[in-house]
Amino acid sequence: MRNLVRIAVAIVVLAAIGIAGLAGYRWLHNDRDVMAADAPASPELVRRGEYLAHAADCVACHQVPGGKPYAGGTPFKLPFGVIYSTNITPDKETGIGTWSDDDFVRALHHGVRKDGRHLYPAFPYTSYTRMSRDDAVAIKAYLFSLEPVHAPAKKNELSFPFNQRWAMAFWNMAFLDARRFRDDPDRKPEQNRGDYVANALGHCGECHTPRNLAFALDDGKEFAGADIQGWRAYNITSDKTFGVGAWTDQQLSDYFAKGHAEGRAAASGPMAEAVEYSTRHLNEGDRNALISYLRIVKAQPGPAGTEIAPDPESLKKSTAWAPPADAAKGDLGRKIFEGACASCHQYDGKGQQTPYAGLAGLRSVNDPDGVNLTMALLQGSDLKDINSGAWMPSFAAYSDVELAAVANYVIGHFSGKQGQVTPEKVAERRKQQ
Amino acid sequence: MLTLNVNGEDRSVEVPEDMPLLWVLRDVIGLTGTKFGCGIAQCGACTVHVDGQAVRSCVLPVGELGDAKITTVEAIGATPEGKKIQDAWLAVEVVQCGYCQTGQVMSAAALLRHNPQPTDEDIDAAMSGNICRCGTYVRIRQAIHQAATGKPVAEQTIAYNLQKGPAQ
Repeated sequence: MRNLVRIAVAIVVLAAIGIAGLAGYRWLHNDRDVMAADAPASPELVRRGEYLAHAADCVACHQVPGGKPYAGGTPFKLPFGVIYSTNITPDKETGIGTWSDDDFVRALHHGVRKDGRHLYPAFPYTSYTRMSRDDAVAIKAYLFSLEPVHAPAKKNELSFPFNQRWAMAFWNMAFLDARRFRDDPDRKPEQNRGDYVANALGHCGECHTPRNLAFALDDGKEFAGADIQGWRAYNITSDKTFGVGAWTDQQLSDYFAKGHAEGRAAASGPMAEAVEYSTRHLNEGDRNALISYLRIVKAQPGPAGTEIAPDPESLKKSTAWAPPADAAKGDLGRKIFEGACASCHQYDGKGQQTPYAGLAGLRSVNDPDGVNLTMALLQGSDLKDINSGAWMPSFAAYSDVELAAVANYVIGHFSGKQGQVTPEKVAERRKQQ
Repeated sequence: MLTLNVNGEDRSVEVPEDMPLLWVLRDVIGLTGTKFGCGIAQCGACTVHVDGQAVRSCVLPVGELGDAKITTVEAIGATPEGKKIQDAWLAVEVVQCGYCQTGQVMSAAALLRHNPQPTDEDIDAAMSGNICRCGTYVRIRQAIHQAATGKPVAEQTIAYNLQKGPAQ
């Protein structure tokens, strides 16, 4: 019995030493620049802050459709409940109007609110922790230059134990590497800048990097692609087959600036928002830096079968206004495509009303599961703010059977592959909206 | 200020670049032959030709057009295919209420330009983006065949026979 007690005590002591050691290590590696007086908000600082707030895409989460920018309220539906984004306008009562620079920087770097309580990592502080204090302060100066909006936070709907904010301290100990970004001397300056734009500001990985069981980003698989809000955030590593390694600089640049890369992609869903609110506002230098960085992100493979089909027979045999005569005769999907899709998309994959409607070479039509294709059919696509012709209505009024049929027809026609979309899968995605 | 080439004439219009072509045609230039149906490119009523291609004008921003040549139903009779289609349309009396027919005529004329001898299937494929609430689809198909072949494929209307002169 006494031995058992001794062993138990030894384990507890060892565990305490271990945790203290880890905490000490983290503390030693923390930045020391957290404590400083508030910076005066000069017009230059506010302007720089506006640029950085765009680059960091704050508004994507801190605004609901039709709502006031930065007033919050966006729901994050997670397996264990719903979290709502908060009001980050300078309203003293419901926003962050009483926060000092230190408070704001602490939230970005450590995921802690002004009152000392922990934030949930739906707020991407695991990425923002890399941001310099100067940049964080500039963003705060910009936010404080905005009109305060009175918008009380919505109450989170989390189940136990996830509603215990203090428990995030342990999660942070394991998964928050609270270190500022430092240039890697072995890289070119633009690659370092691109890393900073992608990871400290743009937090691309929050969608494009797979998560582990504890919902933390799996750093070993940076940008390998992940599923989010029913959509697939694609593999954007340098892999030539599954990533963006084969895209030209011009294609990547067009995609960031206009949401469209000829023959490669048109941004839809959450990425259309990211382009609208964030990437299109990047200056040319940062856009090019981002491209330089994507070139050196470790290539990651994707699921077999999702490669882009090089030159599908069915496309070669099509004209703009007609598919090959014998193809998919009498097929429900073809009938729907003829009636509802062809007048904008056409059969040769080039798109009629606008090049944004070109379907040839897109990943969405080369994925046999038709994940993003189904989502685009259900939700439509909207890049109107960038190009008024770049817009597709929602086809959610069609039945699951019809949508599955047209998705499979599109996959078959534009990639030559056998589509695997079933009405059940469409129904599942419909629920996720 | 934008300049649009409509039915062979340059028209200067003071409109925002993101205004749909349909609005410009109807409300600014005053060519009301082209109809508004659904507003989301799903019914075909607003079909016009841009450089000979049938497009849905309700979702086409005028800023995209540049110096493309726009043809509306008002001038389609001046093209060989358009003339054939309009004659056949009258001969078979395709029209019932008529609201969708502008779009039908424009899509049919574009079809004949690309495919002078379409089969039933070609017609169904090309015309299925044009919806007709009265269900005139059978007569639309007949009229397109008649326009393509020049041979009557259905009973001809009295009006058309009178216009043609005494029956042969």
